[in-house]
Amino acid sequence: MSDHDATPDPMDKAYVQAEAMLSDDAARAARRARVLAAVGQAAPEAAPSTPRRAWARGGWLVAASVAGVSVLLATQIRPPIMTEPPPAPTAPAAATAPITAEEIPAAPPAAKAPPQASPRPSRAPAAPPEAPAREAPASEPAAPPAPPPPPPPQQVARTRAEAPPPAAAAPSPAMDAGLSELVVTGSRIPPAERRISAPAASPASLATRLRAAAARGRTAEVAALLRRGVPVDAPDDDGETALMEAVRANHPDAAALLRRHGASLDLKSQAGQSARDMARTLGDPDLDRALDLDD
Amino acid sequence: MRPLGLALMESDPVDDAALLRAHGAGDPQAFARLYDRYDPSCFQFIRRLLGAHGDAAEDLHQETWIAIARNAAAFDPAKSSFPAWLFTIARRKVWDHFRRQKVAVLASAQDDAAMMIPDPGQTPLEQVQSRELAQEIVAAVEALPLEQRGAFVMFAQAGLSLEEIAQATGVAVETAKSRLRYARAKLRQSLSGKRSAHV
Repeated sequence: MSDHDATPDPMDKAYVQAEAMLSDDAARAARRARVLAAVGQAAPEAAPSTPRRAWARGGWLVAASVAGVSVLLATQIRPPIMTEPPPAPTAPAAATAPITAEEIPAAPPAAKAPPQASPRPSRAPAAPPEAPAREAPASEPAAPPAPPPPPPPQQVARTRAEAPPPAAAAPSPAMDAGLSELVVTGSRIPPAERRISAPAASPASLATRLRAAAARGRTAEVAALLRRGVPVDAPDDDGETALMEAVRANHPDAAALLRRHGASLDLKSQAGQSARDMARTLGDPDLDRALDLDD
Repeated sequence: MRPLGLALMESDPVDDAALLRAHGAGDPQAFARLYDRYDPSCFQFIRRLLGAHGDAAEDLHQETWIAIARNAAAFDPAKSSFPAWLFTIARRKVWDHFRRQKVAVLASAQDDAAMMIPDPGQTPLEQVQSRELAQEIVAAVEALPLEQRGAFVMFAQAGLSLEEIAQATGVAVETAKSRLRYARAKLRQSLSGKRSAHV
């Protein structure tokens, strides 16, 4: 391959001229106004000056705040049972369950999963978009919020009276800490682990997962599903297989893995397209090599 | 290398990363400046990748810029150039669209034999002087296989370097280079003979 490939070519110039000739200034101006208006409504996720560590500290504070507020809410929503003795030790989480259900969705963004499961190329670019640095949305202050004021003494007393033995065994600050840990820890379970360890998935849903994993180039998940015996060529309603998904999304690694497990290049979807057809259309030498289509 | 398209737009001395930072700090004009630098090349990239399904180009273009705006803080100029990052996102938007739509686009499969045909070696078009010829050139570009099409538009129109194209598409530089070479060869092949008819 010569260095000529890396230099401008008259063909390039012809194309640029063609685009310039066909460009529509009015349409471009309208597009500009529309895009900038939409962008104006979409605030940046995080101020660039916000350091990660600051958020990490703030995350704990926010979690603690949420826990404190949740205790407050629980004590206000639930009727006081001052005269009742604490429930038996075998009744767990009577107080924590409603707190968790209400408050975990309101947990800070640091505790939420990555925003969208955007398909990532198997060979990740150096600066993958939409992925990291989502710790602090713009709506969050740069500085960590101040912890909430402590609840009034009688509310704390009511909370303790309602609390089940595990919490009652510890003093109130420990309960708050436990709640904040629950909020943070619970949301940090990796989604992939949850997917893999999900019990008793149907064969159809496993096949769906296989195709989805192939489309996203998640070779580890593809391999795990194949090890579980998911049929490699199980098609979806449109007759598309995992290999077609991997080829379409141009994931050579996933495509090669599926081929090694016997995925067919020549099964056709209902649209009459095979994985081989798709690969040829894509024209990616890496993909062709992965599929042994070089010849 | 900013040989063609972008070279005309780069009189603004403030670099892209600074504009992104200013946007993150709340300067609305900074984002508009950045947008103006890359709007035509980004839009045409999306439009040409979509080919016959170009109706979605406006929406995907907007989604791309919203993603840029929202994730401005994630951009690290030490890891990639802004154009490489922008086209990574734009390309991903198009790919997502293809997947959602089950890629009817792929029905226009090209005969891969074109890859084997030797490059004619001469450029049939030195100057595009008619709208009809311009449309034929664009149609020829849209008929290229997707990855070759993307590499060609990024290089020719957006002025990305081969390294940036490789980064945006997640491949080795040599792969990006071969895609570009194949694309040019196919364009010359499909447009050969047009010069005498139009120029």
